[in-house]
Amino acid sequence: MALARSTVVFSLLRKKHPLVFTAVRNHWNKDYKPGPYPKTADEHITAAKKYGLLPSEYQVYIDNGDGCGDYPKLPVQSADARDPFYPWDIPDSKRNFNETIQAEEDMYAEHRYDISMRHRVPLKVQLAQFLGFLGTLFVMYMICEKIVWFHAVAEKQYPKAGVKHYSFDLGY
Amino acid sequence: MGNSMGNVPNNGLNRFLDPEVTPGPNEKPTFDPCYGFRGTRKERKMIASEAQMRSAKIPLKERDYCAHLLISYRACRKDVWPFVLNCEHEKHAYLNCQYEDFVLRMKEYERERRLRVRSVQEKSKCK
Repeated sequence: MALARSTVVFSLLRKKHPLVFTAVRNHWNKDYKPGPYPKTADEHITAAKKYGLLPSEYQVYIDNGDGCGDYPKLPVQSADARDPFYPWDIPDSKRNFNETIQAEEDMYAEHRYDISMRHRVPLKVQLAQFLGFLGTLFVMYMICEKIVWFHAVAEKQYPKAGVKHYSFDLGY
Repeated sequence: MGNSMGNVPNNGLNRFLDPEVTPGPNEKPTFDPCYGFRGTRKERKMIASEAQMRSAKIPLKERDYCAHLLISYRACRKDVWPFVLNCEHEKHAYLNCQYEDFVLRMKEYERERRLRVRSVQEKSKCK
């Protein structure tokens, strides 16, 4: 019996064991998969309980085949917007143990997009600055297209059969 | 090359405002070259021959009225290499020739411009 158990344990050390392969290589295992889409009120309450939410605040994604199932639709809050001084269980990602995270948390982590960022220069002003700069360049370009700078010189004279060039000295 | 920072933009502006009177850059003069001169103008003489220029491998762009000086400058450089500073006289002569050539072109341009102004004035007198 002991031998059989140790065989199971050692088989897990195999590089290509499907269980280890999926969990370690792909950072996914079947337990991450949400349950089926809750249809009845009872299922709704059970699912809310499963994710540690009140049935009143529990909302589900539309069942459109994206595979979200019964996963709760939580408000989007970027990790950057969370309190950095709160004693988080996992300070690196500002999360608590067993906390239900937003379905697209990987998009709103600290090293990703900060949805609640306040820009130092508002977006409209940024657009105005961009267009203003390009517009100025374009206006300058259009002016220089019309008014071409040049040295006031006639064509360069090359000796050629049948062509006479004269200096400004008088020969008499 | 004159007062570039002042005149060069001004040339463009003049051409924009009075295109009829202001000749463009590197344009061929349109009036009779002897018109308005009391005597006869000296003809420019090409000293280096075609064969010499070809032999010295002078690029087509530089086969102008200063080519003989360019040939002697290059010959000098070849003779005294690597002490090329000894060719300062030849170089000076060549560059002076190019300068004179440029001044002549500037004079041709100005003559063309003034004659255009004159012909416009004469046209308006007739009316």
